[in-house]
Amino acid sequence: MHAAIVAAVMTVTLAALSAQGRGAAPPPAPAPTPRSGALIDLTGYWVSLVTEDWRYRQFTPPKGDYVSIPLNAAGRKVADAWDPAKDEAAGEQCKAYGAAGVVRIPTRLHVTWQDDTTLKLDTDAGAQTRTLRFGRPQGTADSWQGVSVASWDQPRPIFASPIPNRGGPAIKGGSLKVVTTNMKPGYLRKNGVPYSAGAVMTEYFDRFDVPGGDSFIVVTAELVDPEYLTTPYWTSTHFKRQSDATGWRPTPCTAR
Amino acid sequence: MHRALRENAMRNLRALLCVCLAAAGASLLAQGQAAPPAAGADTPSGPAIDLSGYWTPTMNEDGMERGAGSELADYGGFALNEAGRLWALSYDPSRVTLRNHQCDAYVTPYQMRATGNFRAWEERDPHDQRLVAIHWWAQVTEGHRVIWMDGRPHPPAWAPHTFRGFSTGKFVGNALVVSTTHLKQGWLRRNGTPESDQATVTEFFVRHGDHLTNTTVVTDPVYLTEPQLRSNDYYRTPVDHGTWLYACDDSEQIVGRAPGVVPHYPFGKQPYVREYSQKYKLPLAATLSGAASMYPQFQESLRTTTEAAAAALLQPAPGRPDEVSKAVDPEPRDGEIHVLPIRGNVYMLVGDGGNIVVQTGDQGAFVVDTGQGKLSDKVIAAIDKLSEKPIQFIANTSFHAEHTGGNARLGAAGMDPSLPGSFFVNSAPRGVTGFFSDPLRHATMMAHNNVLIRMQDANAPADAEPADTYLEEHRRKFHNGDTIELFYEPNAITDGDSLVVFRRADVIVAGDIFTTTQYPVIDLKNGGSVEGEIKALNDILNRTNYEHEGEGGTYVVPGHGFLGDEHEVVEYRDMVVIVRDRVKTMIDAGATPAQVKAARVTADYDTRYGSNTGAWTTEMFVEAVYNSLKAAGATPARAGR
Repeated sequence: MHAAIVAAVMTVTLAALSAQGRGAAPPPAPAPTPRSGALIDLTGYWVSLVTEDWRYRQFTPPKGDYVSIPLNAAGRKVADAWDPAKDEAAGEQCKAYGAAGVVRIPTRLHVTWQDDTTLKLDTDAGAQTRTLRFGRPQGTADSWQGVSVASWDQPRPIFASPIPNRGGPAIKGGSLKVVTTNMKPGYLRKNGVPYSAGAVMTEYFDRFDVPGGDSFIVVTAELVDPEYLTTPYWTSTHFKRQSDATGWRPTPCTAR
Repeated sequence: MHRALRENAMRNLRALLCVCLAAAGASLLAQGQAAPPAAGADTPSGPAIDLSGYWTPTMNEDGMERGAGSELADYGGFALNEAGRLWALSYDPSRVTLRNHQCDAYVTPYQMRATGNFRAWEERDPHDQRLVAIHWWAQVTEGHRVIWMDGRPHPPAWAPHTFRGFSTGKFVGNALVVSTTHLKQGWLRRNGTPESDQATVTEFFVRHGDHLTNTTVVTDPVYLTEPQLRSNDYYRTPVDHGTWLYACDDSEQIVGRAPGVVPHYPFGKQPYVREYSQKYKLPLAATLSGAASMYPQFQESLRTTTEAAAAALLQPAPGRPDEVSKAVDPEPRDGEIHVLPIRGNVYMLVGDGGNIVVQTGDQGAFVVDTGQGKLSDKVIAAIDKLSEKPIQFIANTSFHAEHTGGNARLGAAGMDPSLPGSFFVNSAPRGVTGFFSDPLRHATMMAHNNVLIRMQDANAPADAEPADTYLEEHRRKFHNGDTIELFYEPNAITDGDSLVVFRRADVIVAGDIFTTTQYPVIDLKNGGSVEGEIKALNDILNRTNYEHEGEGGTYVVPGHGFLGDEHEVVEYRDMVVIVRDRVKTMIDAGATPAQVKAARVTADYDTRYGSNTGAWTTEMFVEAVYNSLKAAGATPARAGR
């Protein structure tokens, strides 16, 4: 009895596999590029919606104000020693505009494809550029924006079913995942709350379209920095889509 | 081949064979069943993401606000319109010491930001395993929300509102997208930043590994100029938090406080309004600027804002026309009568211009109010479907036409079998005591005696007039297994108002003492008064109880609008008291009616209740409050006519 069931199962399985191979094989389609296979469209102009941590983001908070950030003692020591004049004198006005801080600065984003494998994020606040390269890491080590590697992120089952059409419904859409390392030490807030050169930031860019026509990007970011943080620091930052470049006005970094 | 490698390869082969057989077997079993139908038009048959499990909020953003509490007069980053800003400025945190506010729960967008523990689980149909709902439990306020995934529609506009609202979801891309309506009035922020009961919410739940991001987009035509977007982050916790309860019971918080007090600040008199800006060295206008405060270059724009311009934001802008209600009209206006079950054998009938309540049972139907009378035939047909017996009693909450318009038709459709052969009928000359004389062809209609007098004064048809009237504070009947009581509310909307209380069903029919659609129609000419209206609203609140965390429990049927409970009544009572206090302050200072109107004393409520047209405008309401207070100063309100 068991043998008969096994035989039947094997027969069905092999038939299914055989059916897949029947007929002339079509020419292999060219592998999609990250651009042609984009799960979501992030290109265009986007403007910050500063609805959370409002006081810390719209204004430079006083020294030592690092509520909500899981700083360790070393981090607090650096934050308590913040001296914007010193940063200005050192030509480091952009310390709050590094990759781990710049999306928190009220800004407009201009997102474009630099090529088929590289997304470019320009900010008008601080006039910064982040290059998000799919495949190989892109960027300059020890720079404000560090080195980023991008990928499309889509929920998938851990094991794909060996039986066609039995793996659950296909999921459309997904997130842009960006992992950034090798950042020059900078600030999470303009008042000198620090992150270190060893910090690793993982971001997920999600796009949401709401009834009424508005579209939003939510950037969910996890910053892991054992040098200055006791636990991972999570933020989710919002941008609203603009139909054009209205308001786009690049301005230099400021330390205060 | 090396023996170890060979054994390893054989082990892998066996494992692969097992996986293939198991998968193929499962496939055969699945092929033997019908494919499960899609759960909703846009919903795939299975979830794109699984929210099940225990979740802990990260609180790395707005940690102070979400933990210890927000600071007073901090409205930065909110797209508040003038009404929203003024409502927030008027809010005194001491208001939560009032008994009826102590257990207010959080509305969904704020609940999702709360501290505490969260848990999600799926509800699946036991037979076909379709996803029916996703449940989300919040420890703080014991918030249990249900996200329906089975494609069911949202309730009609006249259905009750809850703190969690009514949510439906579908999977779009990698997100669970949730639409929520029917929310109660609540907070966007715990310092009084308001969210109205007209707000709707679109949410996106996205999982990135063990991290969950919930993005809420609140659209509130009453208090916001544009959608308010915020996001909340959680990390998955592998073990049960173990702490899930947050019981609330109300109690006396301030002993000896005069009844009817609603803590609030007069316009321009919020004593702490500069505390936040001074503490953090911000311009006063920074937190008062609404949507502009959300965008880049805001700081620059503040440089041109003068102190005088900032101070002007603390009061209604002078000379601006009154705003009008942005609320959804809950009246269906489709020529049909719609039945909403309330509890047990009590129903609300909507569609004939004023809400009608029907109680059914083994005795005849008991009807409260009869609508405008334009759809009486359909009202009667609807009652016939609910009740095997004809209408036996009709009670009127007032003489106003939207509540007595169908008296004649509904009365004629009913009968009162308790009266034939009784002393009252046999001794009553026809035409003197109304339809007591012909009970088998007419329902018995009851109301306060002033309703009868007002209707007679208005030359209403005799067959529309209530014959069974009461003179003092109370009328009661035991009918269809419930105690039904009529409580007289002298000089509220008119001088003949009654609350009708179904004691066992725990339903109060308020008539126009409480509506969800407009300012109270204080009919001075027919004996109404603002003080009587406030007393009547407080009398309702003295008879209500909530089921859990400030909602449910006693239902209150408004004269117009959606079915409410204690929370809707207390918000309405607060509004009337606050407007009364503002007008009274101006009267005491010698203001004329024109000056009171020009002061826009209802500016924080007009987008919810205001009207510039129709039978009851904002101006008429303010004038009624003014004149009522003036009259009360001259002569005490009468207890009845």
